[in-house]
Amino acid sequence: MRNAVSGVGLAPDAAMVTFPVNLFLPGSDIAPLEARRREVYDGLTRWKSDFAQAAGSAKMLTVEGSSYEDALTKANNLLLTNLWGDGLPLWPATKERVDWILQGSTAPRTKVLGKFAPRGGITTIETCAIALAMAGGRPEYLPILVAAVEACLDSVGFDQLQATSGGPFPAVIVNGPIAKQIRLNSGFGLLGPDPQRPAGASIGRALRLIQQNVGGALPGVGTMAIFGAMRYTNAVFAEDEEGLPPGWQTHANQRHGFEPGTNSVSVVFACGVTNVRRRGAKKETPEEDALNGMWRMADYMRTPNLAALSGWEKGTPGIMMIAPIVARRMAEIGWTQKSIRDFLWQNSRIPMEHMRRAGAPAWIEIDSNPVTRASIDLDPWPVCQKPDNIVLVVAGGGHPTHSYWLQAHSPSVIGKVVRVPETFERLLTDADRDLGCGDDVCRI
Amino acid sequence: MTRLEFYDPSGILEVTQPFAPRLSSLEGKRIGFVSNEQWQAYRMLPLLKELLEKDFPGVQVLPIDAYPQGNALIGEEQTAALVKKSGVDGVIVGNAA
Repeated sequence: MRNAVSGVGLAPDAAMVTFPVNLFLPGSDIAPLEARRREVYDGLTRWKSDFAQAAGSAKMLTVEGSSYEDALTKANNLLLTNLWGDGLPLWPATKERVDWILQGSTAPRTKVLGKFAPRGGITTIETCAIALAMAGGRPEYLPILVAAVEACLDSVGFDQLQATSGGPFPAVIVNGPIAKQIRLNSGFGLLGPDPQRPAGASIGRALRLIQQNVGGALPGVGTMAIFGAMRYTNAVFAEDEEGLPPGWQTHANQRHGFEPGTNSVSVVFACGVTNVRRRGAKKETPEEDALNGMWRMADYMRTPNLAALSGWEKGTPGIMMIAPIVARRMAEIGWTQKSIRDFLWQNSRIPMEHMRRAGAPAWIEIDSNPVTRASIDLDPWPVCQKPDNIVLVVAGGGHPTHSYWLQAHSPSVIGKVVRVPETFERLLTDADRDLGCGDDVCRI
Repeated sequence: MTRLEFYDPSGILEVTQPFAPRLSSLEGKRIGFVSNEQWQAYRMLPLLKELLEKDFPGVQVLPIDAYPQGNALIGEEQTAALVKKSGVDGVIVGNAA
């Protein structure tokens, strides 16, 4: 609640009366409200805000230690005790490190990107560089992080996505040559960890630190994410554009109209991940193998995922990732991106009888979007308004056994063009020097 | 000794609007409820209305459904305009969990 208040420009210490969650459950004893009613009355009469922080630039913190190791430990302890860490070791964002990261920016460090909901912390290029420095990032990662932050800030209902109990997390799909240039994985183990392609981990971790430190998404108070899955690094990965079958379009082109070769990000808020074993086990023909796999994917999607209601009209029910080798084999026997989406949409529709037994219609009835509310008349009920809502991405290792379904809670899918500085080539040369191998000569 | 100086990563908060002045007393005042209809609000807010009326003779507490209810509607400008138009001195918003 404090976040929600500060996010609209009020001081963050609004008058409120808090109770343990038991009071808010069906059949609860609400006598504690009567016992503490004076606190409610005081909120309307005697309460005063104690907040006094003034606007300005980021403050500097200082620690001293008997050695560098000791100082580093104290810096990490300070970050944790101020609720700015994530439990893993952090690089303190020294001026030297932040200035280095800022070499990846096309804009001045003071440029304001927006207020990060729900807390409303002002987010600048420097804010991003500080988070990326802490997360072990490099300057050539900054353009992706900045674009991802811009996409988050433009996401419909972002304040709610940050705070809601379902714990949606940003899944950042990167298209364009920048993915390979900065060592962002699109193949085996693309969701990490990957020592040779570490960009996704740092960028995603930096984004998460911004969500927490600037946006106020602290567990149990700023974000009610009950389980909080996948929130150390979010999910930052590239589409395997070289693995697209002939004639297939990139995700960025299909969803956002970005021309091939454009560096871009596309942000979906996912709230779960499921591995789908799609390959056959015996003597299937290619056609049977494809069709069996498609049915298994559709079967996973055919659930009353009520989180996806928020994106029913314009967002997405999720990201379906299929490996490049699967895409190629399916294309060879006539499947297209359109026919795959059409199949998944058609066959993931849920009989209204199943929706009713799950209590799902009540959630549809209270949805804020009248188009979504009207969908209650559809039987079977489609998990999104149209097939194009489904995000279909070609990525993953060169192996045909599995697909990957990232179920979404995503009212929108926001695309942003990535801007790189004129000195970007030099940053890439520096990365080759520091990390030893580019994508073409990786050892594994 | 080794000294490490580094940035506070929490960004800057900017207060752009003050809270409404508090009331001197609730006696004789007109109070409204903005309800999201969740988290037992349907039981708790009526109880609070009853308690206010008992504790402050002369207070006028509007019905719980005087304004649009539910998460989808309570944040709308139209709801804010209705609250303002109703001439209340104070509003209680509930429930969040």
